[in-house]
Amino acid sequence: MNSKPTSGSTLTRFNDQVQDRTSAVISRIHVSHGAGRMVLLVLIAFTFFTALNPSVFLSLLNLQNIALASPEIGIIALAMMLAMLTGGIDLSLVSIANLSAIAMSTLYATVAADNPAMAEELMPVLILVGIAVGLVGGLINGFLISYVGITPILATLGTMQIYNGIAIAWTGGRTLYGSPESLTVIGQATVAGIPVLFVMFVLVAIAIGVVINKTPVGLKIQLQGANPIAARYSGINSHVVLMSTYVVAGLLGGLGGVFFLARNPTASADYGASYVLLVIVIAVLGGTNPNGGFATVSGVVLATLTLQIVSSGFTAIRLSSSEYAIAQGVILIVVMVADQVTWRRRRRRAPTRARVLASRT
Amino acid sequence: MNGFELSKVMGVVQRFRGANNEGVLAIILLALIVGMSIANPAFFTLTTFFAIVRSSIVSLIFALGVLIVIISGGIDVSFATIAIFAAYSTVRLSQSADFDPGLIGMLAIALAIGGLLGLVNGAVIARFRLPTLIVTLGTQGIFKGILLTYIGSQYIADLPASLAAVSTMNVFQITTDTGRASLHIMVIPAVLLCLLVAWVLRNTMFGRGIYAIGGDPEAARRAGFRVMRTQMWIYVIVGMMAAAAGIIYMIMGRSANPRDLVGGELDIIAAVVLGGASIFGGRGSVLGTTLGVLLVQVINNSLILAGVPSAWQRTAVGLLLIVGVGVQALAAKRSSREIRALVKEEVPA
Repeated sequence: MNSKPTSGSTLTRFNDQVQDRTSAVISRIHVSHGAGRMVLLVLIAFTFFTALNPSVFLSLLNLQNIALASPEIGIIALAMMLAMLTGGIDLSLVSIANLSAIAMSTLYATVAADNPAMAEELMPVLILVGIAVGLVGGLINGFLISYVGITPILATLGTMQIYNGIAIAWTGGRTLYGSPESLTVIGQATVAGIPVLFVMFVLVAIAIGVVINKTPVGLKIQLQGANPIAARYSGINSHVVLMSTYVVAGLLGGLGGVFFLARNPTASADYGASYVLLVIVIAVLGGTNPNGGFATVSGVVLATLTLQIVSSGFTAIRLSSSEYAIAQGVILIVVMVADQVTWRRRRRRAPTRARVLASRT
Repeated sequence: MNGFELSKVMGVVQRFRGANNEGVLAIILLALIVGMSIANPAFFTLTTFFAIVRSSIVSLIFALGVLIVIISGGIDVSFATIAIFAAYSTVRLSQSADFDPGLIGMLAIALAIGGLLGLVNGAVIARFRLPTLIVTLGTQGIFKGILLTYIGSQYIADLPASLAAVSTMNVFQITTDTGRASLHIMVIPAVLLCLLVAWVLRNTMFGRGIYAIGGDPEAARRAGFRVMRTQMWIYVIVGMMAAAAGIIYMIMGRSANPRDLVGGELDIIAAVVLGGASIFGGRGSVLGTTLGVLLVQVINNSLILAGVPSAWQRTAVGLLLIVGVGVQALAAKRSSREIRALVKEEVPA
């Protein structure tokens, strides 16, 4: 690098070299931004709580509990990540999930009142109903955002109120009981010690990752978030992209409702009220840029795990849920500030490097 | 009618519509009140009117704070937590230390706490230029956690004497044939605050700075506004206003519950947006916000009178928000299409 290029060809080669290295550095920064940093955080959180209370924290039961509580939050966080990837946000996800769980539970209870055996057999249909509720919720969000043109935060704020209101009116504010035995069995089953729900969550995450990174739709979603105007001039139909994003987010929300019911055979309108904040924390912590254009699935999955580890670790060392709320807030703000500071430093350094190169050639 | 008269009429109509559709909102509100009064005579009474005013007081003060933040291009979801934090801590402090500095003293303590919490928001937002929604979501969790863990989680049934004394005070009270109608004294600070905020937003450099930052922070900076300092002050002021609302809430409720208020943030934001404030910043008025808050309260009230279960209130407010914002969004789309069409006409391709 220090040898001064003399002829034109070496200059080109030198330029290429610099180009390669720069892009390598940049891509490494991007990776560490999401997944790399999260691996580190998972390890830190894990070691920290293991050191504080190894007998409770390292028990198989506790580890299984972490793996059991993560899927429902993680799947909604993935949906939030998708919305953020397009530069939007979806506040209605938890309401969608609750509505889906309530619909499933109601349908089961209605059928079971006449014919318990048939209600039991209905399990696959029930799951489809739950997902369909999510689909409808997502369709409404997508329609309002892409065709009516309402800002995502306001559209989903409104639909959140609507879905939640429907759920309250439907249940009368009570908790509904009842879900098929087989769904509960799935919810508690383990494969080689790993809960089935967790395996399903990982599979869904992989599917989302493939869609985002390997398909044209995924690329369009990323471009839409990175620069909506450039995306439009590249011939991307933003209506279709936004619509499909919020529909998929709604589907994932509906699936979240299925997970709610599988883990716990009850459904209510205000279940997981704190999840709205939590999934935003997870998405941002996992390296999602809230302004759109950048997100990694692995980062979000690892962030889900980190927060679950912190949550169960707090329980293991006997701290309250309020203290966990403090931790969530602190983590969110510290991560955002750290991101901002490194980003600014990088931007400040970038022009100086260009100047150095210019003076060399 | 010739063209001149027509344009004059249009001008009057335009002026009545207001910069942020305040006129339209007023007509909707009026129509709703007339409709409800015809459908249910029980609605058109002084008792109902005072009840609606009473239930609007705390929402209105919150909404004024939210309005300032939204005009500056931000969004704040931590105000309810700040309100309950400041008010509950003040009551708790006075109770445990067994001292009562009087109404003004109590208010001063609460305002100081609220301002301090607001400063935390402002410092993080202004210094690091982070998305306001996410920062205030984070601080909301932190404040709530600190309140419940370190300050107290117990319901306090009896307020300090100085606050309790104001609880039952009314501006005036009339006994009508439908019952006793009383206007709570706390309507006075709410109205004063409305006038003050309207004056600041309209007539001071600080107020114009808020609009300028909301319109375009970079342009505001080049125009000579100190963006960082203004932003910091915005959140301090909003924190203080939230604290005042918290104290008023406790005075009117005659008790202090650290779990109250939180959870209703989005209703307030919905009311402010309905009142014509643009979520992108740079637009909004106190008049519109007041009408928005009243509209939400009247709708809630008429739903009850119309026999709709209160469970549907959330849905009604959500629908109202979607319709209100949706109409604005469609209108904006149409006007941008018209501009494009005009440009095409003038410059034939």
